[in-house]
Amino acid sequence: MSNHFSDLSKKNKEYSGLYHPSFEHDSCGIGFVANLNGKQERKIVEGAITMLENMEHRGGQGAEPNSGDGAGILVQIPHSFLSKSLQRSGLVLPLEGSYGVGNTFFPKEKSLQRKCITELEKYITNFKLRLIGYRNIPVNNSSLGKSAKDTEPDHIQFFVSPLDDLDQNTLERKLVVLRKYANRTIHQLFPDTYDSFYISSLSSKTLIYKGQLTTAQLKTYFLDLQEKEFKSALALVHSRFSTNTTPKWKLAQPFRYIAHNGEINTIAGNVNGMSSKTALFKDSLFTEQELELVHPICDVRRSDSSNLDNVVEILTASGRSLPHAMMMLVPEAYENDTNMSAEKKSFYKYHAHLMEAWDGPASLSFTDGEIVGAILDRNGLRPSRYTLTKDGMVIMSSEAGSLPVEPLNVLRKGRLEPGKMFVADLKQGRIITDEEIKDQICKARPYEKWLLEGEVDINTLPAVSEKAHGKSTYEERLRFHGYTKEEIERVLLPMFVEGKEAMGSMGADNPIAALSEQPQHLSHYFRQRFAQVSNPPIDSIRERSVMSLTTLLGRTRNVLDATSLHCQKIRLEQPVLSNADIQKLRNISIEGFSVHQIETLFYADNPQSGLENAIKSICKEADFAVKSGNNLLILSDRNADKNRVAIPALLAVGAIHHYLIKQGVRSNVSLIVESGDTRTTHHFATLFGYGANAVNPYMVYDILRHSVKNNRLEKDSDKDYLSSYFKYVNNYKEAIGNGLLKIFAKMGISTFESYQGAQIFEPIGISNRVIESCFNGSVSRISGLDFEHIAKEQLDKLTEAISQSQHPLPYGGVYHWRIDGEYHHMNPKTITSLQRACREGSYEHFKTYSNLLDGNGRSLRHLLEFKQRPSIPLDEVEEVKFILKRFATGAMSFGSISHEAHSTLAIAMNRIGAKSNSGEGGEDEIRFGIKKDGDSENSAIKQIASGRFGVTINYLTNAVELQIKMAQGAKPGEGGHLPGHKVDDWIGRVRHSTPGVGLISPPPHHDIYSIEDLAQLIHDLKRANPKARVSVKLVSLAGVGTIAAGVVKAKADTVLISGMDGGTGASPLSSIQHAGVPWELGLAEAHQTLVQSRLRDRVLLQTDGMIRTGRDLAIATLLGAEEWGVATAALIAEGCVMMRKCHLNTCPVGIATQNPELRKLFSGKPEHVINMFTFMAMELREIMAELGFRTIEEMIGQSYILKQNQKAGNWKSGLLDLAPLLLYSNWSKSIKGIPAQPIPNTTLDNRLIEAVHTYKESLIPAEYVFDILNTDRSTGTLASHEVAKWRGSAGLPNKALQFNFRGSAGQSFGAFGSKGLFLNLIGESNDYTGKGLSGAQIVIRKPSNANVMAHENIICGNVALYGATSGELYVNGIAGERFCVRNSGASAVAEGVGDHALEYMTGGEAIILGKVGKNFGAGMSGGIGYVYDYEGTFLSKFNSDSADVEVPSTSDLVHLKSRIQEHVKYTDSELGNQIIRNWETAKTSFVKIFPRDFKRVLEAKESMEAYG
Amino acid sequence: MGKSTGFLEVKRQEPQMRAPQERVKDFKEHYLPFGDFAGDQASRCMDCGVPFCNSGCPLGNRIPEFNDAVYRGNFREAFEVLRTTNNFPEFTGRICPAPCESSCVLGINDSPVTIEFIEKEISERAWNEGWIVPKLPVIRTGKSVAIIGSGPAGMAAADQLNQFGHRVKVFERDSRVGGLLTFGIPDYKLEKHVVSRRAAIMEEEGVVFQCNTEIGTDITLDELRESFDAVLISIGSKEPRDVGVKGRQSKGVHFAMDFLHNNNQIIAGENHGNEEFSTKGKKVLVLGGGDTGSDCIGTSIRNGAKEVIQVTIEEQPPEERTDQNPWPEWPKILKTSSSHEEGCTRIWGLNATAFNSNEGGELVSVSFDEVRGEEFNGRWQYVPTGKKQTISCDMAILAIGFKHPEYNGLIADSGLKTDIRGNVAATDFQTNFEGVFTAGDARRGQSLVVWAIAEGRQAAEKINKSLSS
Repeated sequence: MSNHFSDLSKKNKEYSGLYHPSFEHDSCGIGFVANLNGKQERKIVEGAITMLENMEHRGGQGAEPNSGDGAGILVQIPHSFLSKSLQRSGLVLPLEGSYGVGNTFFPKEKSLQRKCITELEKYITNFKLRLIGYRNIPVNNSSLGKSAKDTEPDHIQFFVSPLDDLDQNTLERKLVVLRKYANRTIHQLFPDTYDSFYISSLSSKTLIYKGQLTTAQLKTYFLDLQEKEFKSALALVHSRFSTNTTPKWKLAQPFRYIAHNGEINTIAGNVNGMSSKTALFKDSLFTEQELELVHPICDVRRSDSSNLDNVVEILTASGRSLPHAMMMLVPEAYENDTNMSAEKKSFYKYHAHLMEAWDGPASLSFTDGEIVGAILDRNGLRPSRYTLTKDGMVIMSSEAGSLPVEPLNVLRKGRLEPGKMFVADLKQGRIITDEEIKDQICKARPYEKWLLEGEVDINTLPAVSEKAHGKSTYEERLRFHGYTKEEIERVLLPMFVEGKEAMGSMGADNPIAALSEQPQHLSHYFRQRFAQVSNPPIDSIRERSVMSLTTLLGRTRNVLDATSLHCQKIRLEQPVLSNADIQKLRNISIEGFSVHQIETLFYADNPQSGLENAIKSICKEADFAVKSGNNLLILSDRNADKNRVAIPALLAVGAIHHYLIKQGVRSNVSLIVESGDTRTTHHFATLFGYGANAVNPYMVYDILRHSVKNNRLEKDSDKDYLSSYFKYVNNYKEAIGNGLLKIFAKMGISTFESYQGAQIFEPIGISNRVIESCFNGSVSRISGLDFEHIAKEQLDKLTEAISQSQHPLPYGGVYHWRIDGEYHHMNPKTITSLQRACREGSYEHFKTYSNLLDGNGRSLRHLLEFKQRPSIPLDEVEEVKFILKRFATGAMSFGSISHEAHSTLAIAMNRIGAKSNSGEGGEDEIRFGIKKDGDSENSAIKQIASGRFGVTINYLTNAVELQIKMAQGAKPGEGGHLPGHKVDDWIGRVRHSTPGVGLISPPPHHDIYSIEDLAQLIHDLKRANPKARVSVKLVSLAGVGTIAAGVVKAKADTVLISGMDGGTGASPLSSIQHAGVPWELGLAEAHQTLVQSRLRDRVLLQTDGMIRTGRDLAIATLLGAEEWGVATAALIAEGCVMMRKCHLNTCPVGIATQNPELRKLFSGKPEHVINMFTFMAMELREIMAELGFRTIEEMIGQSYILKQNQKAGNWKSGLLDLAPLLLYSNWSKSIKGIPAQPIPNTTLDNRLIEAVHTYKESLIPAEYVFDILNTDRSTGTLASHEVAKWRGSAGLPNKALQFNFRGSAGQSFGAFGSKGLFLNLIGESNDYTGKGLSGAQIVIRKPSNANVMAHENIICGNVALYGATSGELYVNGIAGERFCVRNSGASAVAEGVGDHALEYMTGGEAIILGKVGKNFGAGMSGGIGYVYDYEGTFLSKFNSDSADVEVPSTSDLVHLKSRIQEHVKYTDSELGNQIIRNWETAKTSFVKIFPRDFKRVLEAKESMEAYG
Repeated sequence: MGKSTGFLEVKRQEPQMRAPQERVKDFKEHYLPFGDFAGDQASRCMDCGVPFCNSGCPLGNRIPEFNDAVYRGNFREAFEVLRTTNNFPEFTGRICPAPCESSCVLGINDSPVTIEFIEKEISERAWNEGWIVPKLPVIRTGKSVAIIGSGPAGMAAADQLNQFGHRVKVFERDSRVGGLLTFGIPDYKLEKHVVSRRAAIMEEEGVVFQCNTEIGTDITLDELRESFDAVLISIGSKEPRDVGVKGRQSKGVHFAMDFLHNNNQIIAGENHGNEEFSTKGKKVLVLGGGDTGSDCIGTSIRNGAKEVIQVTIEEQPPEERTDQNPWPEWPKILKTSSSHEEGCTRIWGLNATAFNSNEGGELVSVSFDEVRGEEFNGRWQYVPTGKKQTISCDMAILAIGFKHPEYNGLIADSGLKTDIRGNVAATDFQTNFEGVFTAGDARRGQSLVVWAIAEGRQAAEKINKSLSS
């Protein structure tokens, strides 16, 4: 839940720094308990509260342990309890269900409270309701922390009943209107009540108690909850983990209909979409006047969950069932599903015309008081486990075991699957399955027929000849739109030929658009946002099945209704239009569609106000066109010439989009852009993000035509020019389509319709005036260009076009340096002088280097200068050797760079007491020791990235710091791929994979989908190595400060804010250039936010991203960093010359290559690297002396020393306002101890450690028995650390220590378990079982007294064996989603698995004896899978992109049988037994899953051996 | 772009040269055409993220781009790329010492890409295929510019200014266009038709060359300023450095440029030359180890010298780069020119102390001190070791550099200011007279042809700007 984007233009003024409340995120645990028979019982309420308390670790606490982030409970109205309570005050309640109860926060301040009450009573009367009376909800606030207490409201219940005789649903609608109207009006009348007046619930059915509480406080605070008479047949609970710490009572959940775990990524677009849909509201149930009163349905200032709740409310109040509304808002992935029924597909297709998906990870529980249910979004990235009991209870929660149930009483244990719904109908007294309920809903209306009648497929429209250009030549047009030769050669041609985006490496060292001297494309001021921590990015390639580019053009109709007209839209497979496509649309002559074209041009002769006037006039024209009934608007700049200049397409779209939203008519029309300046994926993404529905990039096709004609591109045959042309057009569209999916996916968004209008960008260098009118809601923190300046950049291009028309296009020089191109910090002069400085040990050369960089005005920090301060002598400043300890080198894996380059950095850093970083590829254990010459190649920082390559218990044990890489500067939100040819024997061994087999790092960590998951990983790592500090690497973007706050609350010791520009790895060019923001912004925001939330003292801040000089260090320190990372400059010191060929393995200086011949050419020495760091520290000391700082400690965060230098930079930099960056918080350093946030051992931990110690002394194998609860997390990890300390990776002899557990194990059971441990769990486990398994054996079996079929019940959570390198796992039941994800060596047996099993697996073995979920084996490159496919359905679940299905060989079957026998031995599996008993028949049902990459390597090896 | 593994597969290969014993028989160009190897060689280009060649080249030639085009076999495209930065690739493709190659990244661990030969191949293809045709300016501004000196700087400026639309007239003191290109550099490095075919194209494009006219003598600067909107002085740096030692007046002691000029006139068929410059049967001593010295050696050998000895004041440079001279600096290493291969003795570390003559005043030998280079107060100087040497000879040619532009006439009489090094003083290419600009060696001192072209282009930009405002 978050508000990504608030109405910043207004709100910004209230926050002078970089922190903004709209950045807040949260995440949580949810659950419900219900009685299927509908009987109201005390045990339901108590059970729910117990469940909540057992999920304490999923909630968060602020700076004080006793201020929670929020907890709450929703129950049915406890009629008898309330009646009795009211009797005491002489009030009588009418019949159950015929009155409404409002649980309300009132301001504590009495006069304000009275005003609110007076108003409220007025509305009650106006709504023809009778006020029965009030009841003060008794509370005990003694346990509350200060911040919660400071903002605590008064809790008052009011009771109303209708004057007329109304049925309950009509009453509910009336109450909805009253609640919304009262909330809105009172906030308007008394703005101070915005946070303190709030109606939690007002209903005749349900009641909500919630607040700024910890889970444990809920019951002690609300005394009602302790009353025996307080009963309900259902209770829904929620515990919140928020990144922020500003107390907000009303942000607690549940809301009136839903409780939400997750985050709606598309919230900005959804809210904007709703606001224009609201204008079309008409309903048979609500009167028109009532509909007026409920406006606005959505409000950007509320959280995403709260907005979603409001939409659910209006959809259900207007007549749809609650499940129906949920299906509309959170649709399954239907686009590519071949198994889905036609009716269901039609339902989803039809509803896409009404409502875009509210996209993002979502586990939602919902109830209207009569049914209670849950739904998981299409990605299923949240755990939802349920239990049905024999005595009629339904228990559903984020964690299994949070409300323990006697094994005997269990009827069934299941989990919610991606896209699936689960409903308990308390009236009917039964569970309604996903299939049944959806079938009912989908067949209720003739959706398929309506689609046939209404929808138009663009391919069926008649072809029309292409449109000619206006009065300009091709060469002129290229220049008008700012094309460069480089863009054509490096960006467009590869897309034409390859059908995908080109790759690059070594990050971006060119200035951001606002600081560049070259005229910029407007889109370049907009930085792509991406998911980190609070929600996960998606793998748009391997999980393509959930992604969609489907585009619908036309008008949207009243969503409260449903008719065949609602789907009268044009359907496109994707939103990039060919010239033929746009011509078809321009000339459409089908009833119901009407097109108007707007020329998006402005006159060149009025540079001051020409552009702004033109914007105003096209907005009015658009409005008029829509109001006159047009439903397709084409915004075209095709007629641009020397007199009339193109308005940047992004500006035109944004302006019209927002103008139409304000006019309430945006939904009536689709915006189709015909634009000359659109060419890269980023350009498209910005247009779609700010409102375009489809785009035609006509200049790209012009360039393509020229390239084919001039033989720059091959023709299929000399005569047939057109077929080649169309082939390249399709390649281009495919490249852009896939590029867009990647951009959506990095934000965790799956579909185009949801991304459209979602504004997932951070503008840097755009003025608030422009933002307000064209990009309203985006967060622009440092202001910048106004309309006239944007006009100037366009006119500069025009001038260039006129004066240079005789010359070839300028080169550009953005991707590769050119002498006449874009500035790069790393250029021949700086590289040469740095290398000379390092090799010759010459400080003079270093000064040459730093002088070239420091004054150039091309980074934000160059626009800052130091204020005068009394200086001190240099020798009073702390010595270089102390400063050196604060350095780290950047994370570069062995694999991405050569062993020589990697170990040289490590030796250098170890010599000076600084830290080198292993990167994400693991580390060879021979490096952990000290070398003969006294040097050490051990990397102090060991990275834990999404691929988990080589992350073993021994690796973790040998670290000083454990760094969780959430994102990478060069490509935040994206995964990686180390191609097979780079994986030689050595790298394969270190990464625990097969040499020659390609290795994929997934975009998300599959154990971090939200902040509470990160807290769990931090917990795991602190168990795996309690002495190491845990660092979390984030990439700078607006909101990173609140993420950092969340990360600190999750107990990280260090937060690294990485700038956008660093990054040495290979990435798509558009990601290198356009994702993330400079570290200055992120670092300052993180520091400010942490100080403000009183969390700064718990953590060290580190920053990196093109830090190069002493001055850079000084500014980083003053903005809040106590440590600094340097990567690119360190590589240059050891010989890198910025070839940008890392992705090609051809580095000619032996750094980014594994080619043995090239590696020989490496000439770097540790001394070179040490020289550079020494010089940087020397320079920093000089600045410290000048500014009068004796130590770094006293310098950290003292941003008042800095001021903006208005003269630095170019004509644009003066427009920036860096004041928010420099907001000073009075704070000085007081952190004590490393790690700063230790996690104490639990009793269970200590007993396991004791067992290891006992064994160490006796060497006698032993067996122990323990009870276990879901609150026991990372069980066995500390013990494994003890083993690793003693025995390294060798571990103990098999089964040296056997631990038997009974109960429900918490998350990460057996994580990083060392060899020799045998963990035998009788009960069930939660998520991440056996994560990083390092040799241990784990058994999970059902209790012998549980009377259920093991293979039909879930017993093990999601993401088991993630990144395991060795060991065994036996699961006597079904395991959840992503079983064995990225397993590289463990061997597993399970009796059924969820979706995405064996994803990215690179080694090991998985035997599945039952059903599997969708997308089995996606991205699998190694290891073997076997599935017992007795129903013959496996193939429909299998992703065949990287693996094949084979019949197991005879020797395979022998092996399989023995493994299953082993499984039976450990688990007593009935299914396993059956299979073994009927082996001759059963064996024919097994299929073998064999990755192609792996097979190729094995075959090559065999033939090698055959030939000797 | 290019072939990512080209440099791993292909070794550097230069075009063949005619054998020394063959080529010394005439003054024809000594390199054979590159032929089909150009594409292979171009594939060695690594398309660097930071192409140091691009910054090493004074013209900023877009080297990775033309290499890529040549690799793909598209010489037309390569030529279009090349011509955007270089007006005369046919000159630099032949006689540039190629600072681009010394900064080529491949040169760090391997031999650099054969950039210069690829450049020559591109330009020769362009001439042979008829891609170089007169290109008339699109507009005529009505402004006029006089250019004094038709060397590479003057020619480059003329070409640029003409294309900007200004009327350009180039005044040349000599009988032919080209300056040192024509009368300094021997034909075996640059045959003169290469210069004249370019001048012919420029004439067709509207540039007027007026030879045999010396400004300062035939026409004064003031007169020029009155008739033209701007004037560019690109007269080179022709005042030779001299050795002021005993016997300098001996017969048979010549300045290199006089010697080479005389020979080029003969080759050009202008006249039969001056007998005193003939090397036939003589023992020739060339003083000075630079390119001009080499030109004197090759010319002497071709003209039948009995023996040629080259004497250099510096110590013999190392064969490879030293740590003090790292990539991508200009490599101060032993360079063996084509002339050296043709038969010449090289002696290092000698400083001439006297020219000894017979009674007839004819040179018979030169006396030298052996010297050693030393840094003294931050300045490099040569200190005698005490040893002495005398080398007998019939002729001595002084090729020890040039001081500054010639003063007599133009500079001496016009009031043009000179800078501390004796060159024409200028700010942003403009001299102390408004509308009078200077470029090339005249402004920056003795340098490379590629620098002259770069200067000519830059000055043209400035002149254009001043004429447009």
